This record gives sequence, structure tokens and C-alpha cells, in this order.
Amino acid sequence: MLSQVRDICHRFGISESVFKGLVDIQLQDTVFVATEDVMSFDLVRPMRRGLRFCRMFPRSVKPTTFAMQVLGRSATRNCIDVDNQTARQLVNGSQVEIDAGPDVENGFVLIRCQGFVLGTGLYKRPLLKSQIPKYRPVEE
Amino acid sequence: MATRKRFPAEFVERYSRFIPDFDDFTQAMAAPLPRTVRVNTLKATREKALDWLSDLEPEPLPWWELAFKVSDEGSIGKRLEHFLGLVYVQDAASMVPALVLGPKPGERVLDLAAAPGSKTTQMAAMMDNSGLLVANDFSRTRVRGLVGNVDRAGCLNVAICRMDGIRLGRAVEGTFDRVLVDAPCTCEGTIRRSGEALGRWSVAASERFGRLQKGLIVAGFRALKPGGRMVYSTCTIAPEENEEVVAYLLARYSDAETCEIELEGFSMRQALAEWKGVWFPEAVASCRRILPQDNDTEAFFLACISKKEQAC
Ligand SMILES: C[S@@+](CC[C@H](N)C(=O)[O-])C[C@H]1O[C@@H](n2cnc3c(N)ncnc32)[C@H](O)[C@@H]1O
Repeated sequence: MLSQVRDICHRFGISESVFKGLVDIQLQDTVFVATEDVMSFDLVRPMRRGLRFCRMFPRSVKPTTFAMQVLGRSATRNCIDVDNQTARQLVNGSQVEIDAGPDVENGFVLIRCQGFVLGTGLYKRPLLKSQIPKYRPVEE
Repeated sequence: MATRKRFPAEFVERYSRFIPDFDDFTQAMAAPLPRTVRVNTLKATREKALDWLSDLEPEPLPWWELAFKVSDEGSIGKRLEHFLGLVYVQDAASMVPALVLGPKPGERVLDLAAAPGSKTTQMAAMMDNSGLLVANDFSRTRVRGLVGNVDRAGCLNVAICRMDGIRLGRAVEGTFDRVLVDAPCTCEGTIRRSGEALGRWSVAASERFGRLQKGLIVAGFRALKPGGRMVYSTCTIAPEENEEVVAYLLARYSDAETCEIELEGFSMRQALAEWKGVWFPEAVASCRRILPQDNDTEAFFLACISKKEQAC
């Protein structure tokens, strides 16, 4: 497992067993995760294998919303639960003020709604800034 | 009778020849299409997804436990459960090709003309996010939509390619357990969703597509392992794009054979035996037509083809 993936698992308390049968590879500044069969398929060159897992920036590694939606379900740390109304605002790119409690650290967090991971956010007390990619506007 | 007038005279003349209840057909084609969704089991259980959809009064469809008709209020695409990838908006008939193909966890599957990914994401879920699902499409703009849908659906077992399907078929000869060729077509079957296909309707267009489809069905067949299974589907009615294409494959590959198609609770009709005085091989009779008046869907055509195991 790549160190960036291990660090993300550690930050969010994601069990490494979630990655059973999956392979991670780094291409430039992005880590992709896919099944072994997808990663080893070499008869032609796919333009994309599996999901983007995270992107590396000079001073941080940002987990992606879509990978976290499926691989971050078992997260136990640095998660912020929001109601439907707040979830809609965040999907639409807003930032909200939120008291996430003492256990949540500043930095990347997973935003959850009704038990589902909505995506990633950047928390700097008390502001939660959506890191969810642009999507068609969700009805608020 | 009145709804016949909405269609070009040549369209009526052609299709009333082999659709016996033609007025029911035109009436269904002129009626609005019910809104249907599929639960994405890579993200949610059926029960959880239904909780999210409850204000849309989801009605289960009798032939698949993950397919629901929902009420027509507001845009589902703007709802949170859509963003979360818990549900995928897909016409009921468009769910059938993947059900007939039946990809299993751990298999190697090719979706030769995949964008925007309705059937790719359906098959990825049927495979339980395991194995290999190569989703290919030729169109740069449509591949963008495919990537977006694969992301939203949470598919870890998909490799996306942007190649001419005919070239791809050659490069991956004998590789896949299952292949879906959901071919580009004149989309006559989608008229009830959008009038666009009717606006550019012509027999010449069907003949043009027929040539491309023959190349793609052969490419899909070549990509199959011996013992593998392929579904060829279109959302169109023209025999030039359907029975004629299957007959073309059968005439060239003696190891290609058609299989029976059945989906309990979903009505399908037999394919044509003859068109314009030319009789199709008997094996073409196993192909199926989905007509809009039978299940309140779009129109579709389906062929299920297997590649014989090599004799040792
Ligand atoms: C009927 S649509 C596929 C719909 C898709 N299977 C789904 O369920 O979302 C046919 C697709 O074939 C693609 N196409 C056209 N010519 C092609 C070719 N030569 N090779 C591969 N794909 C092609 C089109 O770009 C189009 O996206």
C-alpha cells in the first residue's frame, strides 16, 4: 500500500482491509485505486483505471470525494455529520459554520449525511469548506 | 389512429408491416415515458435507497428487484441521493441488456460502446465491484460523461478506454467472458423521451448505421473467449440495424450461436423472420424485440450470442 493511502486511512480510521483485492498506483500527482484485474489489464492502454483516490499537493494530500464515498464508509475519525439541508449547501459549494466537537482535527475531513459519505471537506474551526467537485446544483 | 399522424408516412408504412398492434405502438410512443431508476448496490442497499426516494413513491417493477418507477416531480438529477450515487436514472428497457448478459463477480467483461455508462455502472454493480470491466467509447465528449458516472457510481472494477470499437475488438481477441455491444443506432426507440430521433429519421440512416453495427458486432464477437457470451442491443426498430446485423455475424462465424432470451415478468416479442423478402437464418428467431406498449418503456432490440467452445 502506498504511504499516501496509508496516511489517509490512518487520518480517518479507515480499516486497511477495505483495500483487499485492490491495487493502488501513483501517476504523476494522483493515486488511483482499482481491482487487481483492472490494474493488470495491458492489452490496450486505458485512459483511466478505477477511481482517483487522492491528489498530492506540495503541502497536503487531498482524498477525493468519489473514492471516499465508496472506500471511506468505515471511517471512524475526523468525520463530520451534517443534516440534509447542510449537505445540499455543501454539495453546491458553500462553506458552513459548524461545531464539530473536540475530537475532529482541523484539515481534511469526511462529511457524512445519514450515514453516507458525501465527500471531503476542509475544516478550520468553525468553518467547514466543501471540497466536493462541481456538480449540477442540488435542490436546496 | 390519430397518433399515426405524428410519424412520417414512410415510418408508418414500414413498421405497421410487422407490428400488428401498430396503433397501440404509436400511442405508447407518443405518451410520456415513465421515470425509472435503478438502485446502485455499490453504494446502498435497496432499503436505504428506498428511504431516500420515499417522497417520489417508488413502485417496484416486477422483473428486477432493483428497478423502480418513481413519480415525475422535480429533477432526480438534482437530488442528494443522485449525487451520492445511490440511484441511477435509467429507462427500464435499457436495464434489460445487462440482465440478459448476466456478468458475474470476478469475470472479465467488455462494454464496447459504453458512454455515458448506464449499462457499465449497472454491470459493475452486478459484478460486485470485482474483476475487470473494460468500458470503451469512441466519442471524446461522451467519455467525459462516462467518467463522471463511473465516479459517482463508485466503480473500482472499470477501465475506461477511448478507442474505435472495431480496433479494440482486434486488440483483445479471445479475452472476455462476456461482451456487451450496445451499438450506436438511429435511436427510433427513444422517440417517446425526445423527438430528436424522429427529426432526423430516414431509412438511409439505418442503412448507414447497419454498416457500422456489423463491424462492431464482429469486433465484440472476436473479443469473446470460446464459451463466452455476448449481448448485442440497440434502442431502435429498423431491421437493418437489428436482425440483419445478427444474421451478418452468424453468416461469417460458424462458432456463433444465438441463445434464448427470457426475463420473467417482462414481455418481449420474437424477432422478424423475414425483411423485404429476405429470410433470416432460423437462429435469428431467438432475438427479442421490446416494444413500448408491452412494458411501458422505450423500444429495444436484443440478441444473445455465445461463442462455441473449441473442439479438442
Ligand atoms: C447507444 S450508445 C451507448 C449507450 C451506453 N451503452 C449506455 O448504456 O449508457 C452508443 C455509443 O456508441 C459510441 N460509438 C459510436 N461509434 C463507435 C465506435 N466505432 N466505437 C466505439 N464506440 C462507438 C457512441 O459514442 C455512443 O456513446
